[in-house]
Parts: sequence; structure tokens; C-alpha cells
Amino acid sequence: MLGEFEYVLITAAAGLGENAYGAAIREEIERAAGRSCSIGALYTTIERLEKKGLLRTWMGEATAQRGGRAKRMVRVTPKGMQAAKEFYEAVMRVSRNAAWAAGKPERAS
Amino acid sequence: MSSLAEMATIFLSPMDREAVLGDLAETGDSGWSALGSVLGLVVRQRIELWRAWQPWVAGGMAFAGSLLLLGVSFGLSVDSRRFLRGERGYGSVLCEALLMTSWAWTSGFAVASLSGKTRWVSGVLCAMPCLSCVLRFHDTSLSRVCLLLFLLPAVIGAAQGIRRDRLSHRTALTLAIAVTALMLMWGGMYVRNFFFLLPAWWLVAHAERSERSNEKAAA
Repeated sequence: MLGEFEYVLITAAAGLGENAYGAAIREEIERAAGRSCSIGALYTTIERLEKKGLLRTWMGEATAQRGGRAKRMVRVTPKGMQAAKEFYEAVMRVSRNAAWAAGKPERAS
Repeated sequence: MSSLAEMATIFLSPMDREAVLGDLAETGDSGWSALGSVLGLVVRQRIELWRAWQPWVAGGMAFAGSLLLLGVSFGLSVDSRRFLRGERGYGSVLCEALLMTSWAWTSGFAVASLSGKTRWVSGVLCAMPCLSCVLRFHDTSLSRVCLLLFLLPAVIGAAQGIRRDRLSHRTALTLAIAVTALMLMWGGMYVRNFFFLLPAWWLVAHAERSERSNEKAAA
């Protein structure tokens, strides 16, 4: 099963589609999850997911905005999509009776 | 962008260097923040390597192999001296020299192909027993170099292991059978020597596994 950050990364990459690359994924994670994402965490997780066959990466085009450096493009593989779906479903199942998920009032402990 | 951060990227692979420097330029990170980002990635990548079993086995093999091969090198030196005095036949000494060379080469190759990225740690683990034994060596009739005869074939094996990653299945099998046969001919079938058969037969298994996965990928 995926780790939480692995799921966040796969989901961000899938959402970006053709435009998924290092800096864009990092920005998307920071924007959507409201948490900081270091370059170290991002690239080591990308490498780990690529080794597991959940992502595929290749070097894209260089742009002037990047000082003439190429982008590391990312695409989620069908296996990656399946793993993300399983993680999402597990979180939904386990959250079913939680007050914050079901919209129930929180009970005092 | 900080030139310090750019300098720190020498620890990254060319692909990572390109992507990370581009990302830093795009996000406008500079100075200490950029340096911290690059070093953070370098440290994480090193830690990530050690989450697998291969670097641990490679390190253990480098340490134990070096310790045992020191003894083999010393034994070969003593037997060579006996041969020069006419106390031993050349066949036995030649066999011993061939065995030491093949044990050292296969061990070096196996260590490097198991975990080439942690080769410096494996190298240090191999050097530690060597240094310790060389410093404590007191036999005045033999040079200290006689302890390190195994180093040259081991280093050549490691260099080839880093370059090639694996042998072809046929080559690995031929080598493993030759080493085992040589050991049987030499008659040194005790526990220590069986340890040296492990790298040779591991190379066979590794070659077979790689060929099988290549066939599967092609299919």
C-alpha cells in the first residue's frame, strides 16, 4: 500500500497530466495540501515510485525560464493509478464512521 | 542561483542535476535555501540507498571477504616461498594462485554489482581489515605486501562489476564451475573456502534472473 506522501504525489502528478514535472508537482502539493514540500522529499519519492513501476519519468524540454535546464517529466502508470485508487478507497472505508467524514457532531470524550 | 548549490549538485546524477537546477531557477530559490534543498536531496538519496538489503550484504561481503582473503594471500605467499625452496610442487601453488585470483575477482564483482552506488562504503569496509593486519604484521621473512595480493584482482573485479552490472549466464556458470572444480582439485574443502563459492554462484543466479526478466520484458 502507498504511503500518504506517495499518494499525494501521484494524485498531484495525475491532476497535472501532460504538465507534470518536478517544480509543477511541488507547487501543486504545496497549494492543494497546504504543506511545504522539499526538493529532497519530492525527488526521492519520485525515484521510489518509479522503481515500483507506479510512475514513469523522462527528461523533457529545456526552457529559458529554467535557465536552459530540462524538466523531469512525470507520468502516472496504470499500476500507479490502481495503487492510488486502492489507497483512496481504503481511506474512505476507514473514515466512514469518523465524525469529520460523516458530518456527525463530534462526541465529547 | 547560488554557486554553492550548483557545486553541491556534483553529488547528484546528471539527470537529477539538470532537473533540480532547473527547478531552483524556475522557483527563484537561491542562496542558502537552494543549497539546503540540494543537500537535503543528496542526504535523502544516500539514506534511501540503505533502505534496501543490497548495500548491507555488499558491505558485509566486502568486510568478511577481505578478512578471509588476507589469510589466503598470506597462505599463498608462504606456499610460494616453499615452492622456491623446492618444498612444494608448482601445480599446487598455481592452483592456489588461480583460486585466490578468482575468489577475489568474483567477490569484487559481486560486491560492486550488488550495490555499486555504495562502493565507497564497501571499499572502506574492505580496507579496514587490510590496514589493521598490515600494521600488525611482524613476519620479517615476508613483505607486508604479501597480505594484499588479493587486492588487485578484487579491485579489477569491482571495477568491472560497476561497469557491467552482470555477467552473461554462460560466462557466470563457466566461471562458477571452474572455481568449484579448482577447489575440489586443490583439496581445500573447508568452511572458509565454501564462503568464497558464494559470490561465484550468486553471479550465476543474478545473471539468470536478469536474463529471465529481460525475456519477460521483451515478451
